[in-house]
Amino acid sequence: MTTASDTTARAARAGSPAAVPRGPAPARKRRTDRRAWGAFLLLTAPVLIGLGVFKYVAIGWSLLLSFSEAEGTIALGDWVGLDNYRRLFADPAFGGSLVQILLFTLAVVPVTFASSLGLALLVHRVRRGRAVVRTAFLIPTAVSYVVASLLWKMSLFNGLPAGIANTVGGWFGMEAVPWLQTTEPPLFWIALITLRLWLQVGFYMVLFLAGLQAVPKELYEAAALDGATGWRLLRRITLPMLRNTSVAVLMLQFIAAFQAFDEFYNLFYGGISGTSSAPVQTPLLHLYNTAMGAQNYGLGSAGAFVLTALIVLVTLAQGRITGFGRGEE
Amino acid sequence: MSARRTELSRRGFLAGSLLFVAGAATACISDPIGGGAKGAGTTLNVWYHAYGEAGTQQAVVRYAESFTKAHPDIAVKVTWVPGDYAGKLNASLLTDGAPDVFEVGDFSEGLARRGQIAPLDDVYGPAKASFNKTALGYVTVDGKPYGVKMIDDVIMLHYRKSVLDKAGIAPPADFAALRAAAKALTTKKAKGLFVSNDGVGEAAPAMVLSHGGELVSGGEVGYGSPKAVEAITALKGLHDDRSLLLGFTTDWWDPSAFAQGVVPMQWCGLWAMPAIKTALGDDFGVLPWPASAAGGTPYVRVGGWVSCVNAKGRKVEAAKSFVRWLWVEQTDLQKDFASAYGLHVPPRTDVAAATGKLAEGTAKEAVALAARYGRSNPSTWDASVSGPLVTAAAKAVRGQGDPARLLADAARQAQTAVDEQLS
Amino acid sequence: MKTNRPPRPATGAPRPAVRAPRPPARGLRPAVRGLSIGLLTLLFLAPFYLMLRNALMESAALTSPEWTWWPDVMRWENFTALFDDPALHMGQALGNSLLIAGITAPVSTLLASAAGYALARIEVPGRGVVLALVVATLMIPGSATFLPTFVVVGSMGGVNTLWGLIVPGLFNPFAVLLFRNFYLRLPREIEEAGRLDGLGRLGLYGRIALPTSGAMLASLGALSFIESWNAFLWPLVIGQDPSAWTAQIALSTFLTSQTINLPGLFAGAVVTIAPLVAMFLIAQRYIVEGIATSGLKG
Repeated sequence: MTTASDTTARAARAGSPAAVPRGPAPARKRRTDRRAWGAFLLLTAPVLIGLGVFKYVAIGWSLLLSFSEAEGTIALGDWVGLDNYRRLFADPAFGGSLVQILLFTLAVVPVTFASSLGLALLVHRVRRGRAVVRTAFLIPTAVSYVVASLLWKMSLFNGLPAGIANTVGGWFGMEAVPWLQTTEPPLFWIALITLRLWLQVGFYMVLFLAGLQAVPKELYEAAALDGATGWRLLRRITLPMLRNTSVAVLMLQFIAAFQAFDEFYNLFYGGISGTSSAPVQTPLLHLYNTAMGAQNYGLGSAGAFVLTALIVLVTLAQGRITGFGRGEE
Repeated sequence: MSARRTELSRRGFLAGSLLFVAGAATACISDPIGGGAKGAGTTLNVWYHAYGEAGTQQAVVRYAESFTKAHPDIAVKVTWVPGDYAGKLNASLLTDGAPDVFEVGDFSEGLARRGQIAPLDDVYGPAKASFNKTALGYVTVDGKPYGVKMIDDVIMLHYRKSVLDKAGIAPPADFAALRAAAKALTTKKAKGLFVSNDGVGEAAPAMVLSHGGELVSGGEVGYGSPKAVEAITALKGLHDDRSLLLGFTTDWWDPSAFAQGVVPMQWCGLWAMPAIKTALGDDFGVLPWPASAAGGTPYVRVGGWVSCVNAKGRKVEAAKSFVRWLWVEQTDLQKDFASAYGLHVPPRTDVAAATGKLAEGTAKEAVALAARYGRSNPSTWDASVSGPLVTAAAKAVRGQGDPARLLADAARQAQTAVDEQLS
Repeated sequence: MKTNRPPRPATGAPRPAVRAPRPPARGLRPAVRGLSIGLLTLLFLAPFYLMLRNALMESAALTSPEWTWWPDVMRWENFTALFDDPALHMGQALGNSLLIAGITAPVSTLLASAAGYALARIEVPGRGVVLALVVATLMIPGSATFLPTFVVVGSMGGVNTLWGLIVPGLFNPFAVLLFRNFYLRLPREIEEAGRLDGLGRLGLYGRIALPTSGAMLASLGALSFIESWNAFLWPLVIGQDPSAWTAQIALSTFLTSQTINLPGLFAGAVVTIAPLVAMFLIAQRYIVEGIATSGLKG
């Protein structure tokens, strides 16, 4: 609340002087300004107040909380300075979770990117029944991570010889293995990555399809006249024309992967020991355990801060490098 | 014309959705949780985790109704919570919607010292003497009891007699024998032993204790010790043999894997004995987790659930009267709860003695094992203390680091949490 | 939302009806391509088949080493049992999900459209500051702030309440930005006519601008509905009491629970995804446009 009203007050103050010197009829102008202001405030107020409370106030409070000892409470007051941050950085589990999410991102983003691009190129060329094919790939997008985790954990990748992955493995002479618990070799990655792939590929495929449809036909015709075919068309024309789409897709995939929580929680939750025996911990999982499991909201807030700062930094850096996010002003 | 209609319907839609929001919002504000009997002055919200045995939920609702009959001014709303019970409970305790009475599986002194649960010395009364010492000691913080143990759960190793006989294997007497048995019983299609789906969560503490180590004693985290390192290294051997069943559909607390014949040895609780008996008849036996050959002791875990009163709730007195009535006074209901659904040991020794099902056959053996080898988790054993051990052990058995270093780091981290709980 | 759709302005989204230019097909043989597409389609649809099969099977048959393609006797009672189980709260959870997504989708989209319009078309000093405040929240990832938001909502008494589940999700800065870009491209002449008719600024928005954005509203609304229906972390944190569970939480709870009734779990999954799959089949065009719009205009 405070943030939002501060903002409007500041904006109002900024507004009044600008209205004075301009125009031959100051009185009328001012009335119009007030009306414009009224309309502007009315239309933006809900979003501004909402973002003010649930983003700005929340972050402010949480920042203060991260300097407090807050166990079993979310009240401020027991100031401990930087203790929570010190403890956070001393905890190998938090650092480990950052490394692991980075590995996960590095694995899942290129795979999803290549698959969705490949799929889009395939589907783009389909002449008859394109809508049906597109629907088939898009419909997993409707499925939640919870449902997908359930399928993956209980049906596809369970440790029973009758599990589907084990059955398929059996055809190739593989021994039945517990997929989600096997770390040597890290088979659980296969479950994690295929799950995300199934859920997300359709979404990004649609983005690429939109990009492909925007490529002017003449470019291909001109290139065809030059005798370019197949791979060369793809490399010389299609891919460069998809540059903007590709950057957007990479960005979205990166942010989505970095915030992974749902499937990790549902695949690796182990009853009374929670998710502490999971072969991978994501930062969000770690924060969830710190706050909801150990009830340490101060430490959890400190972690939320470090994570938020990291994502903002990476987003900024990526934006600077690729020029993504500069609106069409 | 059509434009006009469009606009009207759009407006109607806007107004409609705003009304919808307003309506929903008021509905939530006036009745955040809902339920509760009408006419009663106070409604207690009582939380249980979801017990797996059929009939348990109906039973606790029945107890609640009997309580209201005896105390007409206090209604009881039972909330049955499956899934991540501790997480759900912890978040709820911060709010107005917090339960007034709740059970906890791993009692932690932190709850008492942070003032989240009320001292219950006036709840026990003269019956205090009939509670077994372990159950009472478990919930005592600075000389005051902060909960009433509802049931003792005996958790031990179950084995199929016929399968072991056929393979010519004797019930394992030490850890080396257990490892050999698990390996011998593992075939291409089946594994020899099931301790939990991750192979670590239950096994890591069991290994530390059966190898003569300590989890937490006297406020000191003990699982960084050389004995603990030896224990976790031994556990790694079990994993390296690939003789553990991992990634089954249900976890260790559910007897399905054992009862369906998927695995011949499983770590499970006494509660499952009725279901195991139905499936296997007398073709099973129970054992403690065997000791290491060098200086360990066999281990049986005595778990169970403790009934606590939310100290920050507005109905502390009513909540106390409920806990006193049900878990101290109503010995018949305690017996019913402990033996009519899953099988548990009532913490009141007189009630336990009167529970017929515990006095015969394998159940009797289990009770004897508990009396001889039974140990409860330390009362500082919450997620921030147990988590580091499980994480370190999980890494160690997967060969992702040196067990000694992993455990030392984990113990150091857990020590901070223990210190906080005790301060 | 679909009724009386006004003429659709170019949203920049692809129009599926138009067939795209195609480079000469020479790289892959059409037969190979057709086959691989067919196989991939089957692969992508296979999990749905599995879900349905598992939901109709007997519990013991699911873990049996003998593979069955389809149960001999379909056990529809797995579905009815879902709603009879007092511990599962499936009916209530579905109702909660419907209520939450049903409110979130239209309200958040309309709020975003209103703010987007103001930011695009009402010129007041300080507008840039407001825009910056909105854009800044875009960079902060929603789920990394689950804990801060929990702290605020918790202190306002929002845990275990429907408003605690709904309200924090009503403000979507990304949609505000998309609507702003959309209204920036709205021709001035359209508004000018309204102004001559004596419409004020609110009138211009409500009677002129809003009706032109039907397709945007439908697309972003559909995406918002899906997102809200499938949300997990926030309802997990805030909806602790069974009365406040959403369908996802009810399902996850049973996935991580003490005893597991596998066919029931899959029946629950089928029930949970059925509304969205239906929506995908009916409103696919809007969803595709929504994805294309929100993905490319960031």
